[in-house]
Amino acid sequence: MRKAVSFLAVAVAMLCMAGSGVAGDTIKVGFVDTYTGPATTFTNDVLDGFKMAAEKINAKGGVLGRKITYVTRDDKFKPDIGLTMAKELILNENVDLLVGTINSATALAVSDLCRKEKVPFLVTFSKSDKITGEKGNRYVFGMNENTEMAGRAAAKALAKRKFVKYWIAGDDYEYGHAIANGVFRHLKTLNPKVQLLGESWWKVGETDFTPYITQILAAKPDFVIVATGGGGMVNFQKAAQSTGFNRKVPFYQHAAIDLSTLMPQGKNAPEGVYGTANYLFYYPDTKENKAFVEEFRKTYDRHPKSGALYGYMTAQFIAKSFEKAGKVDREKFIDAMEGMTLPSPVGPMEMRACDHQVTLPMFFGVTKKSPKYDFLIAGDIVPVPGKDTMPSCAEIAKARAK
Amino acid sequence: MDFASNLFSAGTLSQILVGLSRTTILFIVSSGMSLILGVLRIPNVAHGSLYMIGAFAAWSVIQFLGGGLFAFLAAMLVAPLIVAAVGFVLERGFFSYLYEREHLMLLLLTFAFMLILGDLVKIVWGPEYRSVTVPAFFQGSAEIFGLPLPWYNLFLLVVGPCIAVLLWLVINRTNLGKIARAAAVDGEMVGAVGVNVGWVFAFTFVLGSFLAGLGGALIAPMVNISLGMDHSLIMETFLIVIIGGLGNMWGALLGSLIFGLSQSLGILVWPQFGIAFPYLAVVAVLVVRPRGLLRSTW
Repeated sequence: MRKAVSFLAVAVAMLCMAGSGVAGDTIKVGFVDTYTGPATTFTNDVLDGFKMAAEKINAKGGVLGRKITYVTRDDKFKPDIGLTMAKELILNENVDLLVGTINSATALAVSDLCRKEKVPFLVTFSKSDKITGEKGNRYVFGMNENTEMAGRAAAKALAKRKFVKYWIAGDDYEYGHAIANGVFRHLKTLNPKVQLLGESWWKVGETDFTPYITQILAAKPDFVIVATGGGGMVNFQKAAQSTGFNRKVPFYQHAAIDLSTLMPQGKNAPEGVYGTANYLFYYPDTKENKAFVEEFRKTYDRHPKSGALYGYMTAQFIAKSFEKAGKVDREKFIDAMEGMTLPSPVGPMEMRACDHQVTLPMFFGVTKKSPKYDFLIAGDIVPVPGKDTMPSCAEIAKARAK
Repeated sequence: MDFASNLFSAGTLSQILVGLSRTTILFIVSSGMSLILGVLRIPNVAHGSLYMIGAFAAWSVIQFLGGGLFAFLAAMLVAPLIVAAVGFVLERGFFSYLYEREHLMLLLLTFAFMLILGDLVKIVWGPEYRSVTVPAFFQGSAEIFGLPLPWYNLFLLVVGPCIAVLLWLVINRTNLGKIARAAAVDGEMVGAVGVNVGWVFAFTFVLGSFLAGLGGALIAPMVNISLGMDHSLIMETFLIVIIGGLGNMWGALLGSLIFGLSQSLGILVWPQFGIAFPYLAVVAVLVVRPRGLLRSTW
């Protein structure tokens, strides 16, 4: 018995030591994100993009003479677990800052915790506009586009077209509603003639869209705004392809032209689907983008997706801001982040000081076949600069004052 | 919007047919679960994971053979066999040690296997989305009153009844089926007359797993194959088995019909709340018949 007790004591002591890490000689980044289940396909890219940039920075001697290290925690796509993990990273692992999450509810919960604990939190992939909008605070940063930006980008492109009768369909959760309403609300202001014919909402993870598609076709709309996320993107496109939906009624999906949606379907994805994306490895055709794609392929043997860009740029922002701050201090880091502009594979990115939202361009395009790849790519690409899709600082201030 | 007029429109028939093809998949998977519930008394939470493995395995087989109709048909047989092998290992290696214990133990163990198999799939196939193309033979769709019904859905409408008939034959017309049914009622007695009950159970579990795998393989061309597809299905399967009557094969069919059709017709009546209809149907059934529609073997 005594032996067991002493053994346990040693084990506990070892665990505590392992947890505390040797602070002071590194910059420690804590990742809270979903590493099990369907979201992994997106979060892995964020981590890989981050790793690639961090290794390059470390190879050059790191930041302020310190190496960037990271620890990961799996939140299983659940806000409560995410919050627990974030607390654990802050209190036990003594991370200097947090990065994550793909789940918007988790991001909002962690953002609130970080405000209280005064720890910077760089959000990668969550799309809710509340994160840097009405729920934004000094400690949270948006490293990717949000539903508001996607909505404005799509509305801008759609307002130029002649569609009048719209139908909205989507995943019945916050993201779905936010995307669909974002697009339609801005479309209505840009083109008051448009009207909403009807809506269909299905449960998240719905696999068979055929019944919904037949119902939408029966209503004969001019255009359909489809608000699916994650795996629903592919599911819906497959159903569109097998029912011929895309050849009967044009439709839009945010991320329809994204690699994660098109690559799994190979040559059999539906053509003519309108979509917006944050990142396309073949566009823009610039030196910077080519170099990034090349490096990512060399490291991981695959094309980078949106997440890779988020992770890569997040590491760059962290390194440059600590450098500018001149010491590893959270408050000074935040001050340095505000207004920081960095070159990126898709052109210069600015961390806007008033709302901590990065100015990412969006790309509007239509799916089409390509002789170069064995999957569909986006054609007729219209880049929409970040400044054109982001709410103004005055709008943000108003939303936060509520 | 006039809801009633929606129900009697051209769309209704195609909506019913679409609902029926969805029913097919639900029936195949839930009949496997029902079989395992009825004979072995295992509330197998890992059943959805077996279905997921079926879908991923189908993808692998089709990739390996390079696509086409032959590859697709081969996958429909090979993938369920792979899943059946996994089922065999699960039953003989783990579950069979717990038959004498509380049901709760079995429930916990199957739950553990749901998590383990989920992670195994991630290790073997990685987190990327996978997609299987409908073979050229089934591509495109038929027009019913101007509304599309994909050929693949029609194919499922043919497959479903075939499976139902085959299952009925296996259970009611073969010795194995008879022994399995007897073992479900009184395992000790079956053992006493010299039948090796262990192998009967193993056979049943393997057959149930095969059905889960077949469901996964059949749905592969229709959906995005991804981690987590087990979770969305397991809920529905359990509900179907409960409203049908635990362990009752025809109950599984009836439950699947209620589930599949209430959703596709519900969409016609009230598109925003199409999701809710199957669950409302479940509630309605359980209020009227708490033990399920047909005789439960429990």
